[in-house]
Amino acid sequence: MKTLPSVSNSRRIILLLILSAIILTAVFCSLTFLRFSSQLYIKRSPNTFVGDEKYQTVRQEVELQLETFRAQGVEGVIDEQVIERVNSKNETTSLVIFTINAANNRSGWDLLRAGLPASALLILILAFSATAWLLTLLSAYSGSRAAGTGAFVLALASFFLIPVVFNRLNLDLARTVDLAQAGGDPGALDRLRPALDSFLFDGSAGDQLDSLLTALKYTVCAGPFLLMIPAFIIICAAVLGACKPLKKTLLRVALYLSVILFSLFILYPFFVMFITAFRSNAETTDMHFLRILPSRWVFSNLTDTLNRGVLRYLVNSLLIAGGATLVAMVCGIPAAYAMARMDFRGKKVYLGFVIMSQMFSPVVLLVGISRLMNTLHLNDTLMGLMFINAAFNQAFAIWLLRGTFVSISSEMEQAACIDGCSVLGAMLRILLPMAAPGIVTTLIFVFINAWNEYTVSTVLISTQANRPITVGITQFSSFNMIEWQYLFAAALLATVPVVILFMLIEKHLAAGLTAGGVKG
Amino acid sequence: MRSVFVRHRWEPYLWILPSILLMLVFVVFPIGIVFRLAFSHISRAGVVGGFIGLKNFQDAVSSAAFPQVMLNTAVWVVSVVGLSTLIGFICAMVLNQPFRGRKIARSIMVFPWAASLVIQASVWNYIIKMEYGNLNNILLNLGFLQDPVNWRASYQIEFIWECAIGIIVTIPFVTFTVLSGLQSIDASYYEAATVDGAGFWKKLRHVTIPLVKPSLTVSTVLNIIYVFNSFPIIYTITKGAPANKTDTMVTYLYMLAFYDQRKGPATALSVIGFVILCIASGCYMLITMRKEENL
Repeated sequence: MKTLPSVSNSRRIILLLILSAIILTAVFCSLTFLRFSSQLYIKRSPNTFVGDEKYQTVRQEVELQLETFRAQGVEGVIDEQVIERVNSKNETTSLVIFTINAANNRSGWDLLRAGLPASALLILILAFSATAWLLTLLSAYSGSRAAGTGAFVLALASFFLIPVVFNRLNLDLARTVDLAQAGGDPGALDRLRPALDSFLFDGSAGDQLDSLLTALKYTVCAGPFLLMIPAFIIICAAVLGACKPLKKTLLRVALYLSVILFSLFILYPFFVMFITAFRSNAETTDMHFLRILPSRWVFSNLTDTLNRGVLRYLVNSLLIAGGATLVAMVCGIPAAYAMARMDFRGKKVYLGFVIMSQMFSPVVLLVGISRLMNTLHLNDTLMGLMFINAAFNQAFAIWLLRGTFVSISSEMEQAACIDGCSVLGAMLRILLPMAAPGIVTTLIFVFINAWNEYTVSTVLISTQANRPITVGITQFSSFNMIEWQYLFAAALLATVPVVILFMLIEKHLAAGLTAGGVKG
Repeated sequence: MRSVFVRHRWEPYLWILPSILLMLVFVVFPIGIVFRLAFSHISRAGVVGGFIGLKNFQDAVSSAAFPQVMLNTAVWVVSVVGLSTLIGFICAMVLNQPFRGRKIARSIMVFPWAASLVIQASVWNYIIKMEYGNLNNILLNLGFLQDPVNWRASYQIEFIWECAIGIIVTIPFVTFTVLSGLQSIDASYYEAATVDGAGFWKKLRHVTIPLVKPSLTVSTVLNIIYVFNSFPIIYTITKGAPANKTDTMVTYLYMLAFYDQRKGPATALSVIGFVILCIASGCYMLITMRKEENL
């Protein structure tokens, strides 16, 4: 909170009070709006029209069922739904669906006392918010900045815990039963039974609990959360209007919130890739018992994919990308050197050629490339891909390298040359060590581009053993079955190294791409 | 400079020779082949016949899918480049502020740029599946939904998803190029503007945007070319289905050439794409060259 000192204490306290008030309100709103309406019983009666004989019989049957529930102490309401359709023979058919819905709505307070894992989380949130309040008051009294920061962090934490509670609640109420029935962990259900019984059915369900839970349908109203967003904005605007000095702090808060939310958004697909890579096969394609995190982390997916050819693909990718980098650098460094240090006729033309070729994507030229590779007998070889990648990254390599070379003064090399060192010697001994950061950036950039290349590889490579990883992962998605866990395990292996490499060069690269030729 | 490093007139050409050879063989040759094929008759088996004038172009342009494909390409390029430039610019402004965890935020921003497009497209393809996709899974788990939603009900919606994914993966490139421009702006400009009483919007309009304009132009032109050529997203998610309704020019060209084995019209399309790219890169070259001369 570097900017906090610029705001007077009382103002900061107002802000923190408002923030924690918003969070407490959010929590309590959600509590009061929680509704658990559970479907106890469903009866479908086909070929039934409202009022006819069959309708009456079924209706009586359903009412009898309701009596049975009442005898067990469970109050319910009968709903009926009529679906009429005209079939292909132009006859009207009708389907009547009777449902008995339990009227046992539960408020958030009931949940707090229920003793479920979700209740524990809810208590944690309330404890966080309460502590945040206390800390706010403390910082109001003593002016301690640490207390204010703590309050802010706790308030934020409780805000982000709210969805976690909902997930847990969902898990407690429905998924545990599903999972137990699907052969998951029965112990988890046994532990929850008494708490679920007393929470949902006032302890009256007894042996019928499992069947009741299976039929349980409930709604959690998310409306209050969505309402909280405009409320938050309105309050912020009001505070902003009321006291100008708070503006900076509020902007700060908005900055952090937006950065956090945007980062989560960016990371979301990678999170999905990560968790799906460790799911079991059944879990990836069955929504019914899919939890947010894998119920069992199957780490053997990684070794399985490696055994199913991915190791080979990774090695291929490494060879192609490594080779392409080598070729691009061997051809690129001298060219960049000549561009940076020498004057010659046609330099402008050459520069134009380089810039133009930077623009050509191999995709548009695919037909030409595949014909050329046929003529050169490089079709379906790693060598062919290596050269194509090198050639299409050549322009960028020259561009980036030239920028680096130009930014280094040529005086030392000149001195070395006068002392009798050859031009090549001067370059190797003096320039290249000095230009190392730029060279590494270029190297990694070319490597990553070649590693990620997909389109040309799909066209040129037909033998399975020659596939690079980007093409290789598609073997897990055949037309009628996609083995997502293997696909993503392989994707994970292909992504981790390049992301790490890219992080290393990000800073130098961005500047190089736009300003590479301008420096000096 | 010339005096020390150049001992013979031909020496510089020797230095640039390897790069010229590499690009000549693997970039210029394919261009030549494509141009030759575009004006020749090609049988389905791939045998190249004689010169047939503009017949291939006629075939390509008169096919039923062509107008839709061109429209898609335009929508794709304009929406992806436009929105990613806007969002990327905002992201760069945010990342240019000093705040705690900025390094982490920058590292996170790298992810969509670094990871392979096929892989990211596959992940999004999984996320938006109706029966078991992760988006439905999370919303159901959090209680926001009671029943799974079909996130890809029609091809229009699928195309919107493809554009959105295109935007997400393009944002980092814009962010980092603009950021490098922002960081080279001298703080004294802002100080002067503050002294003159300029507010946030005035500073943005009169200081930031004019000074970032060069990097913004370069990133936009490069972006147009990348996005125009972007293949894996559409190919992974819809493969252009149904009936080329979600194809852009590049995926359509690929399908024509390697699925339908109609290399003639495909190469004609290549040439059309090539001309569009040449115009774009011509603009880019003019901009860069002018920048060179200014300094």
